[in-house]
Amino acid sequence: MAVTEQPGRALPLPLLVGTPSVKACCHTGGGIGAGPEAPVVAIVGAPNTGKSTLFNALTGARVTMGNWPGTTVEVSRGIWKTTRDAASCTCEECACDPNEQRRDITLIDLPGAYSIDPHSPDEALTRELLVGVPADERPDLCVVACDASRLANSLYLVAQLRELGLPMMVALTMLDVAAKSGVTVDLDALSEALGCPVVGIDPRRRTGLEALAAGVREHTGIATAPRPVLETTDALELDDDRFAWISDAVRAGTSAPAVQPRIFSDKVDRWVTAPVLGPVVFLAVMWLVFQITTAVAAPLQGFLDGLFSGPVTNGATWLLGQLGLGGTWVEGLVVSGLIAGVGMLLTFVPLMTLMFILLAVLEDSGYLARAAVVTDRLMRSIGLPGRAFLPLIVGFGCNVPAISATRILPSSRQRILTALLVPFTSCTARLTVFVMLGSVFFGPYAGTAVFAMYVISIHLVVLAGFVLRRTLWRTMGAEPLIIDLPAYQVPTLRLTASVTWVRLQGFLKTAAGIIVATVCAVWLLQSIPTTPGHAFGDVPVAESAYGVTAQSITPVFAPAGFAKWETTSALVVGFVAKEAVISSWAQTYAVDQPADGTPGTLGERVRTDFENSSGGHPIPAALAFMVFLLAYTPCVATLAAQWREIGAKWTLFGVGMQLVTAWVLAVAVFQVGRLFL
Amino acid sequence: MYVGSDLASAPLHTPLTLVHAPESCRKRLSSLGLRIGARFSLLSRTAGGGRVALVAGSRIALGSTLLSQLRVEVP
Repeated sequence: MAVTEQPGRALPLPLLVGTPSVKACCHTGGGIGAGPEAPVVAIVGAPNTGKSTLFNALTGARVTMGNWPGTTVEVSRGIWKTTRDAASCTCEECACDPNEQRRDITLIDLPGAYSIDPHSPDEALTRELLVGVPADERPDLCVVACDASRLANSLYLVAQLRELGLPMMVALTMLDVAAKSGVTVDLDALSEALGCPVVGIDPRRRTGLEALAAGVREHTGIATAPRPVLETTDALELDDDRFAWISDAVRAGTSAPAVQPRIFSDKVDRWVTAPVLGPVVFLAVMWLVFQITTAVAAPLQGFLDGLFSGPVTNGATWLLGQLGLGGTWVEGLVVSGLIAGVGMLLTFVPLMTLMFILLAVLEDSGYLARAAVVTDRLMRSIGLPGRAFLPLIVGFGCNVPAISATRILPSSRQRILTALLVPFTSCTARLTVFVMLGSVFFGPYAGTAVFAMYVISIHLVVLAGFVLRRTLWRTMGAEPLIIDLPAYQVPTLRLTASVTWVRLQGFLKTAAGIIVATVCAVWLLQSIPTTPGHAFGDVPVAESAYGVTAQSITPVFAPAGFAKWETTSALVVGFVAKEAVISSWAQTYAVDQPADGTPGTLGERVRTDFENSSGGHPIPAALAFMVFLLAYTPCVATLAAQWREIGAKWTLFGVGMQLVTAWVLAVAVFQVGRLFL
Repeated sequence: MYVGSDLASAPLHTPLTLVHAPESCRKRLSSLGLRIGARFSLLSRTAGGGRVALVAGSRIALGSTLLSQLRVEVP
């Protein structure tokens, strides 16, 4: 499989057929590996043992980190700068003595794996890169991150790797958490028992990295003698042998009180995952997330919107006028295309930043793993394990990373089903349209209307899951919930900022191109005349290529009460990106001046069109439009993510299912609603 | 000693020994330290009828559908 290297970004490696080795990943092209001569060190370990935090501390890279299992669903790599002598250089801005010989190491962060018996695609990928490739393509050293507070569980992978004789060492994390439980670790004794070097580190506070660097320098490329294993093919006997070896190692290397004291996390979990209080806390947390997001972001959005539609637009218009381009197609492209597009994109930044910060805090604190426990029964009703909740909740921020996060699910059917349900979660891009329509049609009840969309969104996920489960996947077994609960941690500013920045960058990279291109394409189509007597860039929108195309699909929406081409054309644009719906309206209504010469505000124009198309029932028509917007295809970026994760067939099935669901629901809402409103 | 209780009816904060787990999830449980013969205890009940188990220092949440399939020795 060909892999395109993207410096500074995680490598997407969803398929195992023909997966390249870690060395092939690093030794080709000009990515951010340390070059073909540099040793390759892989960081492996059970989920949530601090691998990604360690990777970031050593390389200064920005990999998504979180305190819940399955955070790393892709392979990341970077350069770890060390020196040949005693001191190591782990700083981001290297200021080491130039006379010291630098030694750069290519560092690979592999997805979390409890063992090399894969239970999910990311675990399978870890196995493939460690043992599925020829010996000379394996990493020169495996650093196994192990959680000292739950050492026995972290050592199963060590036991398996020791049987293979790979060059390896153990980096022990969470020593402070272990100490709070009364557990002390003798690193030398543990190292002797495991038969490989052991160092204690704290990647969150960046301590112990010197010892790790020294160990890596000393042991890279030096294979350890394989641990002898029983000559049997019975998996249970082999497991018993491994666990006996692990027990001996834990006994030799640690001392713990006979009765483990209850730690802070246990006390919190007693309330946070409790039968009645747990769901209440979960709903309160979710409500708080959306309340903070909308309440804090709204004024900032308004400010940025005013800035671009006012001073920036006026300034550009004046400047183009001075250059003799006023009133020409160039002014249309720059003002209605580029400035409108970039301005709209930037108005999303506060909203998305806040959402990403709050999700990062929830992840880093360890709460999201508890949320998966609390929602397990709800998920089970649609045939999905509690773990499927994690990608679905991420979907309320943005559907694109949510589709990638389905990889934490062990069964391919569960991944397909979850990836088909994610688009029904109402992302923040749709939120902006709901807020606009809510304020236009529902006045003081706008908040309730927007909240109703979220309630409908959750019901759509459950209902669609229920129907698919009982039609296409009747034979799918329900996997029981088994999830590792990490200890609660105080979210660190560094991790929260880092995760937020990675996600915001991803959003901007994805959205910027799509939105600006869409806005420019809309402007272009609105500039192309379809009737004689009009010049390019000087044509009523209704007679432009854009208007004619929209008019051709408009009759389909007559039963839903919004059969006006100005309305349906926004849905066509929304297929590309929901972020572009409002801007396309702004473009359409700004260009299409009414006959009496009074343009009116955007909200007034939208309301007038809904009144005309619905036969005097604008409220149910607006509700129908919002429901359609909620249920149909979120954006092309989500389609691309689905295509990558579940293939073309299921992606197209999803598009069809969402369009049919959206139309049927919109018609039902309007037809029932107009009886009362 | 009462032998072979299912985990759903096992008491909290009591040392337990796992004596049976369904084949389908035995590997997964083993990799988290919950293998046949392992000693553990239950810390709390969760929403949806599950339990949080304390297994060798780890907190493992177990769903309600699994509890009735796990057999434990209760001293």
